[in-house]
Amino acid sequence: MPLTILPWLGLALAGAVAWGTIALHRGETISAAWLILAAVGTYLVAYRFYSRFLAERVFELNDRRATPAERLENGRDFVPTTRWVLFGHHFAAIAGAGPLVGPVLAAQFGYLPGTIWIVFGVVLAGAVQDFIILFGSVRRNGKSLGQMARDEIGPFTGMLTMAAILAIMIILLAVLALVVVNALRGSPWGVFTIACTIPIAILMGFWMRVIRPGRTIEASVIGLVLLLLALVAGRWVAASPGLAPVFTLSASALAGWLMAYGFVASVLPVWMLLAPRDYLSTFMKIGTVLLLALGILLVLPPLKLPAVTRFVDGTGPVFAGKLFPFCFITIACGAISGFHALVSSGTTPKMLRRESDARLIGYGGMVMESFVAVMAMCAAAVLDPGVYFAINAPLATLGGSLDSAANVIRGWGFTVTPEQLQTLARSVGEETLLARTGGAPSLAVGMAHIFSRAFGENLTALWYHFAILFEALFILTTLDAGTRVGRFMLQDLGGHIWKPMGRTSWYPSVVLSSALVVAAWGYFLVQGVLDPLGGINSLWPLFGISNQLLAAIALCVGTTILVKAGKARFAWVTLGPLAWLLAVTLTAGWQKIFADDPRLGFLAHARATAGQAAAGALDPAKAARLVFNDRLDAVVAAVFMLVTVALVGACVREWTLILARRKVPVARETPFVETVYAG
Amino acid sequence: MPARWKDGQAGFLSILKRLLGMPDYAAYVAHLQTCHPERPVPSEREFYDEYVRTRYGDGPTRCC
Repeated sequence: MPLTILPWLGLALAGAVAWGTIALHRGETISAAWLILAAVGTYLVAYRFYSRFLAERVFELNDRRATPAERLENGRDFVPTTRWVLFGHHFAAIAGAGPLVGPVLAAQFGYLPGTIWIVFGVVLAGAVQDFIILFGSVRRNGKSLGQMARDEIGPFTGMLTMAAILAIMIILLAVLALVVVNALRGSPWGVFTIACTIPIAILMGFWMRVIRPGRTIEASVIGLVLLLLALVAGRWVAASPGLAPVFTLSASALAGWLMAYGFVASVLPVWMLLAPRDYLSTFMKIGTVLLLALGILLVLPPLKLPAVTRFVDGTGPVFAGKLFPFCFITIACGAISGFHALVSSGTTPKMLRRESDARLIGYGGMVMESFVAVMAMCAAAVLDPGVYFAINAPLATLGGSLDSAANVIRGWGFTVTPEQLQTLARSVGEETLLARTGGAPSLAVGMAHIFSRAFGENLTALWYHFAILFEALFILTTLDAGTRVGRFMLQDLGGHIWKPMGRTSWYPSVVLSSALVVAAWGYFLVQGVLDPLGGINSLWPLFGISNQLLAAIALCVGTTILVKAGKARFAWVTLGPLAWLLAVTLTAGWQKIFADDPRLGFLAHARATAGQAAAGALDPAKAARLVFNDRLDAVVAAVFMLVTVALVGACVREWTLILARRKVPVARETPFVETVYAG
Repeated sequence: MPARWKDGQAGFLSILKRLLGMPDYAAYVAHLQTCHPERPVPSEREFYDEYVRTRYGDGPTRCC
């Protein structure tokens, strides 16, 4: 035993040295290598010791116990799967745009606060959440989070969970659509490439179902080749005087097209658009993440962003609010993401071959996502700070021209010249990069920078558009999949009121519920497009709060599972993260509603807007709409907070009743069945 | 192509399909033949339709 511990001590030491180097070189440029080393050292030590403690002492995973994949094997969704394959499958399911966008936005505080939260948040909170939900679901025949909340805590909590999932979905779809709008407005190259993904996916859909049934890999390879051709052709389209104007769209036009797309995709059969898109984007996702890791490791770029910027005081241009709580709200995915609880209690538990594999897949999969978030942070931090803020600050702050933008940014203490911004935009094949808030474009510039240093200098524009394509592709996939899931939930709810509404294949019900879901997220999207502060400022915190709310629900379910299993002495593994999440979510929610700073508080902004209208500085009709939107956002934040408080209250009551022995805990685990697998 | 290579190729494709969340018809047929030999074997297209319907039917399969 002592000898096997030695390499881990070495690793812990390497991680500590890396953290020390980051700490001691404040104000100097350091290499991304230190961030990577600090993160990986922490991950490996936490995985070896903490996840093992969770697996063996807290959950007591038992390989003699047959998993649902073994007992209920049906060759379709219940399939025992080798652990590394399932690890890849699970990782591809949990990693999306979230871990890429959040860190890039939080980089306005500097790279250090975000990185610390990403690394320590994941090992102590995020990975624990994913692991315990996967464990709970595996012991309950692969039940979903909503079902577990209902069975373990009560019907009220189950209902709150379903409502929270629907709400988070709507805000998530709106904010992700806004990221795409900000990346693609006025960019014919980007719009052309993304538009091409639709006919490509439809062709793949027909190929896989009608032309050569079941040949999914073949169709995906064809799709990928066509996609890369579309990427190259995009440059030619952007340069063509006839075609470029057709694909040059304003933000409002793009928002309209995205809503139309979400509706059509939700109404069409899955095989035609959704499934092929999903395959295409998963291929791209795995490929690009590997490429990014390779690029960063090959180049080990210096980080030009400061470790900590002056914007920790809450005056940041990308989004308002102090480091606490907003750093922890902005980075949800990558540190702790409630949404993962849905995947960990969805497809993955039905494929787990042995219980002990849950450690690698639940805990390890989330650690891997955190690593993607660290890479995203590195990609943002290789940019000059001036460039980073030029891309991410809203237009109203920067002013309309390169000169005004450079002046404003110089006022913040970062050097940047109009020529520099012009050259950069030209080099990536865009008219302008100003105010493309949302993370995708700055990540794309950072990735293009890294890729072109690693794999060839003269391809910068192509790499930029490749990165945009990659992000927009899976955001659109989230849009259609999410709209569809929202539609099913709405139909399910509607079925309780009027039976035919619940029939998922009845056309009027499909059309009506799809339209309602699209209208809901579309409303927030349009609000974001019209928002003078840049919609990310209001929508991204709302998304962060709702995602953390879902994480709080998951941790409550996890704690209940532990308490009912007579393991209350270990409940700190979930109660610790839960307490932190409550502190963060409730503080952020309160500040977003009531803060006096109009950039931060929704109500203060409504007052300021009404004041401007009264003074004649703003068109009254426009002002009325802005005021309404502010109040709506305040209500949404308040509802999220109320749901959180109600839910935690219900859980605490349940726990105390059980612990005081006034209620007999009912174990909902499926009974033990011995596995037939050898070893 | 030698049989060994063919097996290797089929194994690789099967792993890739599982990784990406795609249906694996060959594995399904093998499962039916071992566990439920009395049941009819669906065509590849029927299986594909059924698979995508259940997979994308009842909740989010992918995260943000």
